[in-house]
Amino acid sequence: MARILGGIGASHAPSMEHVYDAGEEVRRNEEWEPLFGPFQEVSSWLGDIRPDRLVVIYNDHMDEFFLNAYPTFALGVADEYPIADEGFGARPFPPLPGDAALGWHIARSLVADEFDPTICQELEVDHGVISPLPMVDFAEGDGSWRIPVVPLAVNVILHPLPTPRRCYKLGQALRRAILSYPEDLSVVVVGTGGLSHQLTGPRFGRVTPDWDQEFMRVLAEDPEKLCDYTHEDLIKLGGTESVEVVNWLAMRGALPADARPIVEAYYPHRIMGYGLQAFAVAQ
Amino acid sequence: MPNESTTAAELTEEYLERLNAVQPRELPEDLDLFDELAATRGIRLNKAAYSLKDGHQRELFERDEEAWMEQFGLTGDERELIRARDWIGLWRAGMTIYVMVKLSGVTGVPLPEIGRQMKESG
Repeated sequence: MARILGGIGASHAPSMEHVYDAGEEVRRNEEWEPLFGPFQEVSSWLGDIRPDRLVVIYNDHMDEFFLNAYPTFALGVADEYPIADEGFGARPFPPLPGDAALGWHIARSLVADEFDPTICQELEVDHGVISPLPMVDFAEGDGSWRIPVVPLAVNVILHPLPTPRRCYKLGQALRRAILSYPEDLSVVVVGTGGLSHQLTGPRFGRVTPDWDQEFMRVLAEDPEKLCDYTHEDLIKLGGTESVEVVNWLAMRGALPADARPIVEAYYPHRIMGYGLQAFAVAQ
Repeated sequence: MPNESTTAAELTEEYLERLNAVQPRELPEDLDLFDELAATRGIRLNKAAYSLKDGHQRELFERDEEAWMEQFGLTGDERELIRARDWIGLWRAGMTIYVMVKLSGVTGVPLPEIGRQMKESG
């Protein structure tokens, strides 16, 4: 049977792509080391535990899904996921390897649990997946991805959004889906997005480090408490676009209550509160 | 038709509370929401900027911006907002930030400049 080795919460942002693509020297400079150093720690942890699959809970930024038919939850059931052109040409990465069989199993299990995702046989992934992913999973020397993924997209754009509680429960349902998969696979669950940022209106660029750090602390210690927050609370605390943190909450829902972070980092910089948190699950 | 008293009983306080909380209602004026009103208002502008995912649409934009705009049934006011690179106006007209960055790319106006204008909109 499949098992869950841990979870990762990580911000996603185009800025992370620009810095990653600028190369090792820029990643390691004074400005960006506080962000990229901790990702290296997560990368070596993944190197040690070598998960067979990643399930990545993220949100699309109108690079695959559009407002003509916007899915609340959308699940990938493909064997590969091309990189989306977000309007500037696609980043030069090969398609992400997928695992259609695991995707279909998760689809069946979620539906049995009364979660009904849009099922995607084709899905282009954007920076919601591939801004953090290369930092923990890309073998630059070989130019290849190492770990197949199953992407699970959450609507955080078009209100009404699924509630924080619903997203936590989605994570719990995802946990059952993984644990009931008959193959002997080890899985790490990833949730991307946030933390505080505000990209529109007069509060453009506002970052709220106290709340971000409080969020990470509560996520680790008492995640169910975060289910009581409404989107209105989250927007007031962290900005309109910060509601992406529900992806972290879903990730946390897939882990046992007593999981504790082994890597934690927070770096408020320019217009983003960048967070990173990796949880190991005792086997 | 359901019996009226039965229907009313089903609308429990717990349900009504959830219904009320599902969408922010009491945000300060300077915090926006992409909801029914914005999505309805912005559908043409969002469709237009979303098209810029496609390299051919970007080429057309660069070659003949007016011809590019012609494809989406934009109103005269909406076209003027695009011509003027009026980012605050586009935002108020319902364009989401996620497609605005695609328009930012093709017009060569970086996000920090859009942000500078946004900050001045208060």
